[in-house]
Amino acid sequence: MDNIALAIYLALKDASKQEQPGALRKVVEFLYKKRLISRKDEILERLKKIINYHEKKLEVKVSSAAPLEDSVNKELAENLTRRYGAKSIDLIENIDPTLLGGFKIEVGDEVIDLSIKNKVNKLQEYLIKSA
Amino acid sequence: MSTNNIVENLKREIENFSLEVKAEKVGKVLEVFDGIAKVHGLSDIKSSEMVTFAGGERGVALNLEEDAVGVIVLGDFSKIKEGDEVKATGRILEIPVGDSLLGRVVNPVGLPIDGRGALKADKTYPIEKVAPGVVTRQGVDQPVATGIKVIDAIIPVGRGQRELIIGDRQTGKTALAIDAILNQKGQNMICVYVSIGQKDSKLRKIETRLEEGGAMAYTVIVSAGASEAAALSYIAPYAGVAIAEYFMDQGKDVLIIYDDLSKHAVAYREISLLLRRPPGREAYPGDVFYLHSRLLERACRRNEKYGGGSITAFPIIETQAGDISAYIPTNVISITDGQIFLETDLFYKGIRPAVNVGSSVSRVGSSAQIKAMKKVAGTLKLDLAQFRELEAFSQFGSDLDEGTKRQLERGKRAVEVLKQLQYAPVKTEHQVVTLYALTKGYMDDVPLEKIKEFEQKLTDYSERNAKVFYKEVVDKKMWSDKGEEELKKVIEDFKKSFK
Repeated sequence: MDNIALAIYLALKDASKQEQPGALRKVVEFLYKKRLISRKDEILERLKKIINYHEKKLEVKVSSAAPLEDSVNKELAENLTRRYGAKSIDLIENIDPTLLGGFKIEVGDEVIDLSIKNKVNKLQEYLIKSA
Repeated sequence: MSTNNIVENLKREIENFSLEVKAEKVGKVLEVFDGIAKVHGLSDIKSSEMVTFAGGERGVALNLEEDAVGVIVLGDFSKIKEGDEVKATGRILEIPVGDSLLGRVVNPVGLPIDGRGALKADKTYPIEKVAPGVVTRQGVDQPVATGIKVIDAIIPVGRGQRELIIGDRQTGKTALAIDAILNQKGQNMICVYVSIGQKDSKLRKIETRLEEGGAMAYTVIVSAGASEAAALSYIAPYAGVAIAEYFMDQGKDVLIIYDDLSKHAVAYREISLLLRRPPGREAYPGDVFYLHSRLLERACRRNEKYGGGSITAFPIIETQAGDISAYIPTNVISITDGQIFLETDLFYKGIRPAVNVGSSVSRVGSSAQIKAMKKVAGTLKLDLAQFRELEAFSQFGSDLDEGTKRQLERGKRAVEVLKQLQYAPVKTEHQVVTLYALTKGYMDDVPLEKIKEFEQKLTDYSERNAKVFYKEVVDKKMWSDKGEEELKKVIEDFKKSFK
């Protein structure tokens, strides 16, 4: 699946504005012929990842207990751009009251958990262990 | 403790608590079945790395696939749901080790299961470790006194050796191992008994037995029960040897028993098939040889420069209807330094321990045998071999010459002497005296049914009267001419009074 998505990406990347409809058509025809249309969702998801990777776009999910202020969001975006060396950042905000406070950043499968919930859990673990 | 004190303590504890925030690798559970979890994400995970599930369960990543990780769950997998968070720890599975483990029964992840409260262990050891290399090792030259006459005399085991105990069900494999543990009292030996997929009732019996014999003081039991997940059975022997390695690192000698590796292989087969690894012979996966070789290679004797200490391993294998050419038995036979064969036929003939002396061997143990034992056992082996040959032959006719008859009688007595009751280990010096009397012909005119009584009374009598001989055997491991003269006289005196 990864290879197919990569192939599609490479085929479409170099196509100019005029060629694009034709190229897209070819891709769909190819998928149809190879009986891969039923797996289009999977391919699309991978394609998205590949595009993000090649264009150095970063998809970041930020969960917090309450909506974050714009200034915080901006600072967060700046820091993350520096940390991951990305060109642009796509912030997806998510409200999760169970976090109690603070926020949690998810980049792909990496998680930076700065929520109060995590801190409480850690404290609990520590107290059980040292007892 | 007053409430104030508790609050004070708690305050101090909390002050010591430091919170480090770091980026963690997190995955999501795709599916859970039969103790296996497929996890999406966890991109940088290593093979055999430990992971933790949201509910606190631990797992080990075994299969790293293109877009999922196959994790075996150590413990209850019924609480894990699809979509649960899974965290990578960056470490391979570790278990707590320490002197406080002595006398305890723990499960393969190091949690106590004997109901005697929490374990206080400040150290942890990884369960998978590369075996000590050639430069750190030393030859096997110190004996393990098992207290079982037939083993100590004919199939001697040395410290650092791996000796397989193999036989059908109900032939006394575990009994042999437990006797060996019981006899380690005062022998400067730590014992680890790893029970893999055994009935809990059997474990209970063993524990009680060891307790009664005062053996729990130097013994650790690691148990993965039959009702628990296959993953626990799979890691149990590695956990056991990690505990053994801790004691070896303290310069101690350790005896470890894996009871039994057939069930271990079966548990690993189950895991492998569930992880969709291709099956091979008898449906075992391709790396089942490595499974046991890397485990048994960790048994060793280390030289002084690297801290000394040793791990002697007694793996146990259960055969089906005496078939030792099945896959797992042949594998383990080729890995170990010898095997002790137990046979059903002998067991029902009343020869217990039911050791088949002809096909049992010890490839390195003879250099570890004490000199006195070597002296008396050398001729014993010959006596028994000739006896077996003549026994078959003598069934055809009764007209045998005197020499043959004598050999037959000697052989019968040797077999009788090597019989031994369960839980009755015999001290090395007593073994030497008994075998001396046997091989020098002092038992030839004792009726067969009185041999046991003779042996019992002779050891009692000689210990009281042949003090020089005993002292020499205990201290110098060999007798002198003076000691031998004394013993001869004592045996002759004893025979006069024995009727």
